[in-house]
Amino acid sequence: MELELGLALPGGDLIAELGLASEKRTGTCRKRGFDDMFYGATSPPLFVHKDGDDDDGDDDDSRFNHLQELNLGSRVLVGWPPVRVSRRKGEEGGKRRVNCVKVNMEGVAIGRKVDLSLHDSYQALFLTLSQMFPKKQHDGEESDAAYYKVTYEDEDGDWMLVGDVPWELLCSS
Amino acid sequence: MVGGFRWAAMFPDEVWEHVFSFLPADADRNAAALVCRAWYRIERRSRWRVFVGNCYAVEPAAAVRRFPEVRAAAIKGKPHFADFNLVPSDWGGGAEAWVEAMVEGWPHLEELRLKRMVVSDDCLELIARCFKNFKVLSLVSCEGFSTAGLAAIAANCRNLRELDLHENEVEDNCLHWMSHFPESFASLVTLNIACLEERLVGLLHRVPQLVDLGTGKFAAQHHPELFSKLESAIAGCKNLKSLSGFWEAGPTYLPAIYSVCEGLTSLNLSYATIQGPELIKLISWCKNLQRLWVMDLIEDDGLIAVAASCKLLQELRVFPSDPYGAAQPISLTEHGLVAISAGCPMLHSVLYFCRQMTNAALLTVAKNCPNFTCFRLCIMEPHTPDYITRQPLDAGFSAIVESCKHLRRLSLSGLLTDLVFKSIGASANCLEMLSVAFAGDGDAGLHYILSGCKNLRKLEIRDCPFGDKPLLDNAAKLETMRSLWMSSCSVTLGACRQLARKMPLLNVEVINERKRGLPLELQPDNCPVEKLYIYRTVAGPRSDTPSCVWILR
Repeated sequence: MELELGLALPGGDLIAELGLASEKRTGTCRKRGFDDMFYGATSPPLFVHKDGDDDDGDDDDSRFNHLQELNLGSRVLVGWPPVRVSRRKGEEGGKRRVNCVKVNMEGVAIGRKVDLSLHDSYQALFLTLSQMFPKKQHDGEESDAAYYKVTYEDEDGDWMLVGDVPWELLCSS
Repeated sequence: MVGGFRWAAMFPDEVWEHVFSFLPADADRNAAALVCRAWYRIERRSRWRVFVGNCYAVEPAAAVRRFPEVRAAAIKGKPHFADFNLVPSDWGGGAEAWVEAMVEGWPHLEELRLKRMVVSDDCLELIARCFKNFKVLSLVSCEGFSTAGLAAIAANCRNLRELDLHENEVEDNCLHWMSHFPESFASLVTLNIACLEERLVGLLHRVPQLVDLGTGKFAAQHHPELFSKLESAIAGCKNLKSLSGFWEAGPTYLPAIYSVCEGLTSLNLSYATIQGPELIKLISWCKNLQRLWVMDLIEDDGLIAVAASCKLLQELRVFPSDPYGAAQPISLTEHGLVAISAGCPMLHSVLYFCRQMTNAALLTVAKNCPNFTCFRLCIMEPHTPDYITRQPLDAGFSAIVESCKHLRRLSLSGLLTDLVFKSIGASANCLEMLSVAFAGDGDAGLHYILSGCKNLRKLEIRDCPFGDKPLLDNAAKLETMRSLWMSSCSVTLGACRQLARKMPLLNVEVINERKRGLPLELQPDNCPVEKLYIYRTVAGPRSDTPSCVWILR
C-alpha cells in the first residue's frame, strides 16, 4: 500500500504545490477537509520546531514540556502505557516487515523514503523527519517558532493529520 | 574492638570464610568488609557472587580485581524506562567491556545474568569459548545478538543447566541453532526461549528433565498429529514446574498441557491471546500455582476463579491486551483485584493494568494484603480519578503504603496530588523502587520522596511538574541511591550543572534527542532538560556516550 506523507508550513498554497485538486474531497463523507488543516485549524500543531536561539530566555519555558506538545490525547504519548514493544498489537513473531513511505516537503524538490517499521512511535518518526528535512530560516518571519504539519493521504484519498490514530494502526493500514 | 590486638588472627582465614558464607546479603558482606583489613581481605577472596545493579557504577576491571573468585555475576545496563522506548536506542549498556574483563579475571565463571544490555554475537562466542564450566546464561531485555551467537553457546557449553532468554530482541539468522545442543542433554534444567520460534516437540524429547520451559511462538493451526505429539512430549517432562509462551496457540492446544498443570508453580500466559473461559478452565487445573502472568482477557470473572482455586498464589501480573483502547472494552476492573486480594492469602506481588479504580477498592486491598512487597498499578489513562467519587487516588495509595510495611516496590498511576507523596515519604520505609507518572502538583511532591523513603534506591519519574528545587535541596540523597530518572518534568540545565559540580560521585546525564540549536555546553541555565539520568558511580564519566547524551561535570 502506498502511503504518501507531506510536510508543510502553515499557510501557503499547499494544495497547488502538492497537485491536489478539490475533486479529492468527496462530499458528504469526507474526513477532515484538507483546507481545514491549514486554514483555521483548531488542533494544536503536531510537530513544533523550536528555533535554536533560546538566548532571549522565554520565561514561560521554564516549565516547557517538549513531549506534551506531541500529545494529542493519550494515544500518542511516548512509552505509555508502560508496556514493552513486544506486547503491543500487530507483532507477528517479532519479525519486522519493511513499511516504506514517501515523504515530500513543501518547497523541497527531492522527496525521501522513510521505513515506518523502523520507528515505533510518532516521536521517533518526527525525529527522523526533522533530521531528513532540517529547518531553514525564513527572512522576516517570527523566529521563535516555526511549525510543521505532517499529513498523509489515506486509502480513500483524504488528507489526514498524522497523529489522529494510534501509531500501530497507522502502520498496519 | 581492642586496639592493636589482632583478634581476627584468633581463627584461621578459612573459619572466617565459613562464617561469612552464612551472611545472606551482599550488604552484610559489605559491612563485614569494613570491620578491619583482615576481614576485608578474607571477605573479598571468598565472595563468589556479585550483583552490579548499574554497569556504569564501577569499572569492570576494578570489580574483577576486588573479587577474584567470583563464579556468578549479574549485571544490569539501561534504565528501566528503556523498556518503554524512553531511552535513546544508542544510549549505551554494551556488554563488551564487562565480558572482556570477566574472561580475563574470572575464568571459572559459571553463571552470567545480564539485563537490559547490548550483547553482541562476539560476546556470546567469547563466553562460549572461555568459560570452561559455564552453566547458566540469562539474557533478559537484551539486544544486539543473533541466533548465530546462541549456536556458539549451544555448541560449546556442554554443562549448560539454564538458558533463559526472555524479552530479548534477537536476530534470527541461524534457524537450527538449537540442533547444536548435545543429543543427550541431561544437564539442561531451564530453557526459556520465549523470544524465538522453535521446534518444540523434538527438543522436549531431548530434555525431559526440564523444570522450566518457555516456548516461543507456537503454531496457530490446529493439527491433530502435532497436538498429540506435543501432549506426549510435555507429559514426558515430569519435573516441569514453570511454563511460559504459547503466544499464538489457539485454545485447542491448551489441553496438551493439562497433564503437567498440577505440578506447575509458575505459568506465564501473558503473550497468549486466550479468552476468559479457556483461561479459567486451564487455571482450574493449576492448584499449586505461585506465580501467574496473564492478559486482561481473564477479566474479573477469571480472577475470581483464580482467587478460588489458586490458594498458594504469591505473584500476579495482569497485562493489557489492548494498550491503546482501540478494541472493545474488557471487563477487568478493580473488582478483580479486590477478589484476588481477598482470596489469596500469600499474595505479595502485583502488577495490574486496568482502566478504572476507586479509593475504596485500594483501601480494601491494603487491608487484605499487609504483606505486599511489590505493588504496581497502572490505570491506563493518565490523571484518572476515582471513578465513583471523582477524587484523586491519594487516599487509596496512602493506605497501601501505610498498611504494607514491607513494600519494596511501588508504581503509581491515576489522578494524584502532592498528598500521596507526603504519605509515601513518611511511611514507605522499606521502599526501594518507586515509579511515578503524570502525578503531583509541584516541587513539594518530589521533596517528600527524596527527604523521606530512607531505603530508596531507584526513582523513575515522567511527566510530573517537579523542578530544580527539590533536586538541589536533596542532592546528598542522590548519592545514597542507585539512580534517578526524570523525563518531561520541569528541570533546567542550570540545576543539573549545579548538581554535577556539587556531587562528584554522581554522573549527571542530560539526554537531548532533538539535535538543533546550540550545543549543550553553550545553552543557558534556564534551558529545559528533556530527560535526565543521574546515578552514583566510582568510575567517573563513561566514555561511550552517544551524541544525544551529555555528562555534566
